[in-house]
Amino acid sequence: MNENEGSAISDQRSEHAVVTPGRKLTLVEVRERLANQKGKRYWRSIDELANTPEFQKALEREFPEQASEWLDPVSRRGFLKVMGASLALAGLAGCTKQPDELIYPYVTAPEDLILGKPVYFASAFPFATGAVPVLVKTDAYRPIKVDGNPEHPYNQGGSDPITQGTLLDMYDPDRSQHVLYRGEQRPWISFVAEFRAMLADKKASGGKGLYFLSSTVTSPTLARQWQEGQKTYPQAKFIQYDPANRDSHFAAAKQAFGDYVDAQYRLDQADVIVSLDADFLGGAQFPGFHRLAKDYANRRKLQGNVDMNRLYVVESVTTATGFKAEHRLQLRPSQVAPFALDLAEAVGAGGDTGGYNWASHEATYLQGVAADLKANGGRCVVIPGEYAPPEVHLAAFAMNQALGNVGKTVVYTDPVNPMPSIQLDDLISLVADMNAGRVDWLVILNANPVYATPADLGFVDALNKVGTIVQLSSHNDETSQIAHWHINNQHYLEKWSDARAYDGTVSVVQPMIAPLYDGHSEHEILQSLLENPDVSPYDAVRTTWNAGASKGSSAPQQTKGGAVAAPDADFAWRKVLHDGWMENTAFAPKNVTAKVTLPAIAAPASSGVEVVFRPDLHTYDGRYANVGWLQEIPRPVTYLSWDNAVQMSYATLEKFGLAQNDAVKISVGGKYIIGGALPVPGQADGVVVIALGQGRSTGRVAGGVGFNGYLIQQSSSPWMLAGAAVEKTGGIYDLCKPTEDYIDQRAVFAGGDGSGTHSLEGNEALDRGIIRYASLTEYKSDPGFANKGVGHFTPGPEDSMFPAYRYDKNAWGMSIDLNSCVGCNACVTACYAENNIAVVGRLQTKIGRILQWIRIDTYFEGDLAAPRAHFQPMTCHQCENAPCELVCPVGATVHSPEGLNLMVYNRCVGTRFCSNNCPYKVRRFNFLLYSDWDTPSLKLMRNPDVSVRSRGVMEKCTYCVQRIQEVKIEADKDNRPIRDGEIRTACQQACPTSAIVFGNINDRTSEVAKLKSGSRTYGVLADLNTRPRTTYLAEVINTNEGLSRALGEYAVEKA
Amino acid sequence: MATKDAPVTNPMIDPLTGEYRVIAPGHTFKSVTDKVSRIVLTTHTPLGWWFGFLVAGGFVCMLMTAVTWLFVKGVGIWAITIPVAWGFAIINFVWWIGIGHAGTLISAILLLFKQGWRNSINRFAEAMTIFAVMCAGMFPVLHLGRPWLGYWLFPYPNSMNYWPQFRSPLMWDVFAVSTYATISVVFWYMGMIPDLATMRDRAQSRFAQFMYGLVSLGWRGSVRHWVRYETASILLAGLATPLVLSVHSVISLDFAVAFMPGWHTTIFPPYFVAGAIYSGFAMVLTLAIPIRKFYHLEDLITIRHIDNCGKVMLATGMIVAYGYSSEVFMAWYSASHWEYFMMWNRMFGPMGWSYWTLITCNIALPQLMWLRKYRTNIGLMFLMSLIVNTGMWFERFVIVVTSLSRDFLPSSWGTYRATRWDYMTFAGTLGFFTFMFFLFIRFLPMIPMSELRLMLPGAKVREKAEPHSTGTPVPEAGD
Repeated sequence: MNENEGSAISDQRSEHAVVTPGRKLTLVEVRERLANQKGKRYWRSIDELANTPEFQKALEREFPEQASEWLDPVSRRGFLKVMGASLALAGLAGCTKQPDELIYPYVTAPEDLILGKPVYFASAFPFATGAVPVLVKTDAYRPIKVDGNPEHPYNQGGSDPITQGTLLDMYDPDRSQHVLYRGEQRPWISFVAEFRAMLADKKASGGKGLYFLSSTVTSPTLARQWQEGQKTYPQAKFIQYDPANRDSHFAAAKQAFGDYVDAQYRLDQADVIVSLDADFLGGAQFPGFHRLAKDYANRRKLQGNVDMNRLYVVESVTTATGFKAEHRLQLRPSQVAPFALDLAEAVGAGGDTGGYNWASHEATYLQGVAADLKANGGRCVVIPGEYAPPEVHLAAFAMNQALGNVGKTVVYTDPVNPMPSIQLDDLISLVADMNAGRVDWLVILNANPVYATPADLGFVDALNKVGTIVQLSSHNDETSQIAHWHINNQHYLEKWSDARAYDGTVSVVQPMIAPLYDGHSEHEILQSLLENPDVSPYDAVRTTWNAGASKGSSAPQQTKGGAVAAPDADFAWRKVLHDGWMENTAFAPKNVTAKVTLPAIAAPASSGVEVVFRPDLHTYDGRYANVGWLQEIPRPVTYLSWDNAVQMSYATLEKFGLAQNDAVKISVGGKYIIGGALPVPGQADGVVVIALGQGRSTGRVAGGVGFNGYLIQQSSSPWMLAGAAVEKTGGIYDLCKPTEDYIDQRAVFAGGDGSGTHSLEGNEALDRGIIRYASLTEYKSDPGFANKGVGHFTPGPEDSMFPAYRYDKNAWGMSIDLNSCVGCNACVTACYAENNIAVVGRLQTKIGRILQWIRIDTYFEGDLAAPRAHFQPMTCHQCENAPCELVCPVGATVHSPEGLNLMVYNRCVGTRFCSNNCPYKVRRFNFLLYSDWDTPSLKLMRNPDVSVRSRGVMEKCTYCVQRIQEVKIEADKDNRPIRDGEIRTACQQACPTSAIVFGNINDRTSEVAKLKSGSRTYGVLADLNTRPRTTYLAEVINTNEGLSRALGEYAVEKA
Repeated sequence: MATKDAPVTNPMIDPLTGEYRVIAPGHTFKSVTDKVSRIVLTTHTPLGWWFGFLVAGGFVCMLMTAVTWLFVKGVGIWAITIPVAWGFAIINFVWWIGIGHAGTLISAILLLFKQGWRNSINRFAEAMTIFAVMCAGMFPVLHLGRPWLGYWLFPYPNSMNYWPQFRSPLMWDVFAVSTYATISVVFWYMGMIPDLATMRDRAQSRFAQFMYGLVSLGWRGSVRHWVRYETASILLAGLATPLVLSVHSVISLDFAVAFMPGWHTTIFPPYFVAGAIYSGFAMVLTLAIPIRKFYHLEDLITIRHIDNCGKVMLATGMIVAYGYSSEVFMAWYSASHWEYFMMWNRMFGPMGWSYWTLITCNIALPQLMWLRKYRTNIGLMFLMSLIVNTGMWFERFVIVVTSLSRDFLPSSWGTYRATRWDYMTFAGTLGFFTFMFFLFIRFLPMIPMSELRLMLPGAKVREKAEPHSTGTPVPEAGD
């Protein structure tokens, strides 16, 4: 109103002065004063108004003067007005501290947005081994949960820890937020200007001196952009390098088929599976994990007349896959190739190995496997490991062909990677070019080569000879610190792209949220090479699929028949976005024949210690090392968290005179690493296993965790290092292992087995009936084996003095199939995301305060040198007779009428008695303030339906009560009962093998009720009369009894 | 019993019974009253007192530091984890409550049983009870995850629609301990009133006269006063007696009601009570032996008291030993895998050392007390009292920590390594206890003069009403 603010204030003051001090402000006056202001001034006026004595007086008096009106007949509208005003004013006086925050309300509310109601979008997580199709749950357009796309033919809803963890990766507060030039912030446009100037310069020379170094490309659009760009810049080079690459496979494929092909395995067709060092149940790092795990598990559910499959695993590194095997053979890494070649010879796949001096049990095993393969020709499959030498792949190709598996259990297709290459060779030549000064510009896309390249390549030194280094990455990582230009990358949840899944199906990666820190994608950079450099990634992706210009076997628009062959390309596009994938883009099987000449077995390298490298199961090659969930959740088998270790067998540990947690120095060629020694059951002797992907030097989470195995990786043999020196340093490297392992030293009379080589926990778990299993033969003769025997008794309601609780309507229950569980941790990570579980950090994890609501318990049975392992997902059992409820003095844990054991956080005072009295030890306590209440980006990530727990309260699995309630409300609105399968817990949803089934056990037709009535069902510790709602389906293993006898193995003990 | 030579050589032995005398011969009403009241009413505070007081005060400061940090950070500064979610706090709680029991037993049960010898030691034994309960009472609050909500354990009308869950033994603790604390304080204070009046009458400074006058509640020593006093004493003793049995029984239910192997046993209530008295008497000795030496009270707290305490310790120690052996026997006899494993784990598991410490301290070494020679050896008995208290602390450690560390599910086994904050809190409460005790012996009569006077030969002479000293059992009237 006033032209000058200062005068406005003084005007008002003078106006106040006129008001008699004793007079009260009437509402009319308040309104007048407020009405006289506009826009920004409006808010300032309230403050000014609030400081006037009249106003304070008005507050002290409960109601403004006009409130006396209330005695008079007053209109509803008038009442609300007065009420609203007094509430607004009371708010001013009531809050002493208002944070200075800007609020951006929706000026125009987005269509279809109902706050509090999640919206789901289909997308894909472009992972190096193939995209994982995902369905992203967003709340107010913030992604809050990433799950597998249930309608996608590839993973059918299954996911894995890394896919789940990408959510936290996106909200990672350590993400790079700016374009940097030599460490200083620059606008993106200045990079673009410089980059394009360079491109213009280089146009004449065809891009000579321009190099791209990218992580593995799975995006057809990116490939198209590069291939088109290459027309202008034929001399430019595009190198892909991932430390965990598929070089072995591609090298062998090139040799066998003359072309790069991918092998897809159809495990649903396979009766016998032989894995040659392939950890195909371990996680997404194995191409096709989701499909393979699902198909594998579907053949183990003992439902209908589906025959059980049988898995043989020959491995040099102890993996979950190995422990799921019926028969497992541990070999030194140098023995895997000879074994594969010998096996190929034994099954008649050609080759003359010249023999190998196998130990007797190894020879027996080999013959047993060969016999089983031959007996199941066409219904078996041999899977070579990604990190096994090419000979193993060649042998596998030969065997699958000789056994008639090709086209049945294994099909060859175009590779998922549109530009397959032998990555390490390319990298080596890149380093050579760099050293030769031929590299003017090195553009690094989504890679961190300073950290993640074999140290003997001298990549860092070579970088110094590069003119300009540009790095696009999500974090300010080791390479960013050297690069001249650092471009902050968009997360896949923020950008447009596309990717192919294992089966070739193309998914469009669509943004779920506006980029948190702006950021730029690799598509923008590569688009600069093209004629129209300003085409957005969105248009680039659309162009790829509209033009049908992909290198893929089929271009979508052309082959799309029937339903989507609408003239409207937009409609088809929207369907793709809605479904999450393009129909008919899956690869067709390629009709190729392997022409393999198997080499003779070379003599094993040495008898010395062999060091094996593997990407970490959670942090992969190090790129997810800053994801707290993935760091914290204990890895399968080793149960190591927040660390990597120098893993070896118990015997090797002893040989080196080491104990667990002793610091070990492994040196080769003047380089060394120091890590903590960790004995791992079932590891071959004389082998040291090192997980890559730790020892990062940047990142609040990743920095300083573990050691960097790349420092001693050799480019000549990246996965296996012979001739390294292993020595004890005398120091202690306190590994972060949330549980301690004990060896059963008890004599027989004390309850032990007297051998001194078994796991105490494992022996006890079997004695206590926590793990019960049988061989298939035993199961067939006695289907109820799981509930027979000492300690396997389950008291019924009639055994109690007290009447059983009645659950009239719904009774929630869970059934977990231990035969299907592969221990991959997808459920655990999903639970972290769903339930806002805090990351507690290394020290807290180590001393036993990890907050996971579901965990994978692992028990080792038998001699720890070569044990059998049992995985058991363990979560709150929602006992009907819950021991925790009885002992809580404040009633903070109570039972719901539907049988849920509920935790009332607000009421909990933290006596922890409930945890003490919980036989399953699934309750988790906030000993300190573990939840991050401050970091803004993490606030966006949280599930709004679940409380964020503060210090001093107990928490635990709720069977995802928020999901139950959500569905119940929907069902109530529709006035219908809840359908079976409508409620899915987070762990169930994430499980790639559908091992977890949840539902209403009162509904006799529900899947969970059917499973629970099955003969394999047993309750863990049910003999305590806890009446657990979670039950397990006992393991049944399809032993090859002939082999078992020949090996002299213990007959499968009755559980 | 008595040897022929002993009475001749040792004046402390009553030639008639052959037992040690409760009070050294030759004491009169006046000498006793002088001796006891002078400790308090002297204007000269001994340097040794100051020294001890300051050292204890330093420990109290440490306790304050530990507790402050605890409130700032949370119970995570302690070593507790999952599965061992209870640690030092609960061990200390049970230990301190146990120590308190001897005071109540001495003041109540021995009163009812007319054990006159108790009169010398009951005052400071009761004070010990109160301070021990204060120390104990801290822990249930400190160990809460959210201590500021500890009041939710009390049933009180509120607007939160909140009511405690009475099936939980922790609720029973609240009532057991608060009742116990109340009765103990009342009993202690009431028993002190005649002595406070004596102090009032003997005090020289106006301030002391006023203060003692205030707390002596107008005691004039009239016969009516004495009658009511005696009646109230008996009534309170009657009230306190069941508490001796009930409080630790209820506390044992914290464990026995849970169904953890190693906790879930019916023998816990009696064996906890016996253990409590065991440790309590040990603490009485730990306090009495230095005090009688420092304040030259050997005449009033005699070898007889130490001998008797030794006997009680031996008896309760044997009950405790029976409890341990019963646990071992039941582990085998029950044929329960859980029990069998639990016992094996206690003895030979990673924390087996704590079990053997407990057996050594609580069973093996105290067997020396069978011999009077050792029971009357002051130095040895002091050492023994420390050993027994250590053993009883480890008993709770074994029960709490060892049982929790390896329970039903082998995947969730854990371990326990106490942190500096655990030790600081524990040592801090020891300091607090000592601190309070130093205040007590400086400002209150630590030996009940009125009751002691009843023990003197003078009190037994009934023919002549005329007392032969100024320190009559009926003190001068106040005002």
